[in-house]
Amino acid sequence: MPDPESGDLVRCEHLTKRYGDFTALSDCTLNVRRGEVFGLLGPNGAGKTTLIRTLLGYLYPTSGRCSIDGLDPADDPVEVRRQVSYLPGDARLPRHMRGKGLLDFFAEMHPLGDRERSFAVADQLELDLTRRVAFMSTGMRQKLALAVVLGPRTPLLILDEPTANLDPTVRATVLDLVSSEQATGRTVMFSSHVLSEIEQTCDRVAFLRKGHLAHELALEDLFQRHRVTARRTDATSSEIPIPVELAEWIGGISQTDNRIQISTAGDLAPVLPWLATLPIEQVRIEPLGLHAIYQSVHMGEELPQLQPQGSSETDSPKSEGVL
Amino acid sequence: MHWRDIGIDRMLIRKFIGQSSLLFSALAVTLFAFGWVRVWVVKLLDMGQFQTILEQFRDYEKFAPIEFDALFTYSGRVGMTFDEPIVILCTVVWCIARGSDVVSGELGRGTLEMLLSQPVSRARFLLSHAVVSIGGLIALCLALWAGMGVGVHATTLTEVVPPPSVRVPFFGFELPLTDDAPVEQSFPMSDRVDLRTYSSSVFHLFAFGFFLLGLSACFSSLDRYRWRTIGAVMTVYVIQLIMYGLGKAAESLSFLQSMSFFNCYKPQRMTSLVRDGDLWSPWNLSLPIEDGWLPPLGYPLLLIALGLFCYGVALVVFTRRDLPAPL
Repeated sequence: MPDPESGDLVRCEHLTKRYGDFTALSDCTLNVRRGEVFGLLGPNGAGKTTLIRTLLGYLYPTSGRCSIDGLDPADDPVEVRRQVSYLPGDARLPRHMRGKGLLDFFAEMHPLGDRERSFAVADQLELDLTRRVAFMSTGMRQKLALAVVLGPRTPLLILDEPTANLDPTVRATVLDLVSSEQATGRTVMFSSHVLSEIEQTCDRVAFLRKGHLAHELALEDLFQRHRVTARRTDATSSEIPIPVELAEWIGGISQTDNRIQISTAGDLAPVLPWLATLPIEQVRIEPLGLHAIYQSVHMGEELPQLQPQGSSETDSPKSEGVL
Repeated sequence: MHWRDIGIDRMLIRKFIGQSSLLFSALAVTLFAFGWVRVWVVKLLDMGQFQTILEQFRDYEKFAPIEFDALFTYSGRVGMTFDEPIVILCTVVWCIARGSDVVSGELGRGTLEMLLSQPVSRARFLLSHAVVSIGGLIALCLALWAGMGVGVHATTLTEVVPPPSVRVPFFGFELPLTDDAPVEQSFPMSDRVDLRTYSSSVFHLFAFGFFLLGLSACFSSLDRYRWRTIGAVMTVYVIQLIMYGLGKAAESLSFLQSMSFFNCYKPQRMTSLVRDGDLWSPWNLSLPIEDGWLPPLGYPLLLIALGLFCYGVALVVFTRRDLPAPL
């Protein structure tokens, strides 16, 4: 799998992991491009952590294959981990060490380890490094693990629920750090249950459900989808017709009493003039949000088309529903 | 090998030393102090007074780890230190605690995840752990020997020398040749006990511990719960101990004795070999101790070979298994 030419840093091809009768990950095929922040979404037990652990060589795949920078973790896990910084979902650190000693330890352990960088992150997260790990709170240990992981300048950064156990202020700092890592050219795989974090940081997102890759979409496409809510000013309750020329952009119109809701897909520009002609007031336009997609995937519903059929001129990646 | 790999090994070894330093310190102090005190206790008991009593138990000598004759010599009684429960306990605690920690311990604590996220192979991880555990075991054996050495050099013996006498034939009693009072003589124990006598006994203790270390590491590599690993190793230990005891107790079950690894732990037999031969007698690899037995050096080497086999199995299992996420 010569990835440098394809531009994909991470590749999974029909990756499957079974434990006896239980399938933790089934026929998962996905690619993560260099320099992007790739989100992994799914409920507990969806297979996110199994996917990550297989990529890192902790688990051996039952079938299929995966690679990071062209290296198969089943064949050469050490070389793979030279390319990766990994924050586990439940990062537990040697309890007998102090914060400072622990950062020194991990900075020495990794060939690309950067002690100064780790200490800078710890400082940014306002971490007390004089304490022993054993006497740190869960949040402090999470911050310490983040300082460890953000130290080495590896091409790939894998963060499994990095903001769990953190207060809102620190969460924001962590998301800023992720964005700044991307700005330096690093690729980030980001698993989280917090949809707003995924929306804020990721370029693309994959939805996993019961071990299957249920859906994959580019956030850029998602942000082109809107919901318009307004109050009708005319007294009639007749349906508002959708102009034929806008049929591709209008997903549907629903009305409850005198409130209407219009779903749009794609660029808003062609729709706005038509909206201006409608007998409506108190107009509110909001992006559809990841929550709606997540709910659809979670419930196993058919996913709506995010881009209008005819607007294929955009270079942004297409979403592909695989349900 | 990348030059940074040496740094990784160094850091891993430092980490394992830091992790085990408290346990090691406690056990080392215990073994050193016990070795010293145990030697000092030797001078308190004049075994000559118990000779008549012991003679009545000659039939049960086979159950004792030492010939009764050795009990009447200072070197033999000092050599009994290696079969003392405290010495065995300290060795077993170190070996099972450290051996069980390597995989199932780190997995259970969840720390293996972060450690193996670094570019270190599972084999290097296990071997770094083994270096620290084996080094600690060697140091503990030497701490015991050092404690015994201090005891031997610090202890002064006092013996009562009776006036010269002659044994009257046929009547069997001693006839004093003078009416002088018995003379008390004091001398350092090192005049009677050569510390080098116990070098092979220390080696036996190390071999015993090395096997347990390997066995614990092997079970640990198969498991994800440390408590279960410890339970499994202790089960094997107790079963082997029972087999050894039954093998000694009943002639018909003597085959069990040779199937127990305790049969390879013979520190006091080594002391006897030195007493009956020279300092090099226990290091012989060609002459069996007795008919049907291995040469003296064969026993610890067998334990070490078994330990190496267990470590080999641990290495293969650990490098091939899936590592589950911490619970």
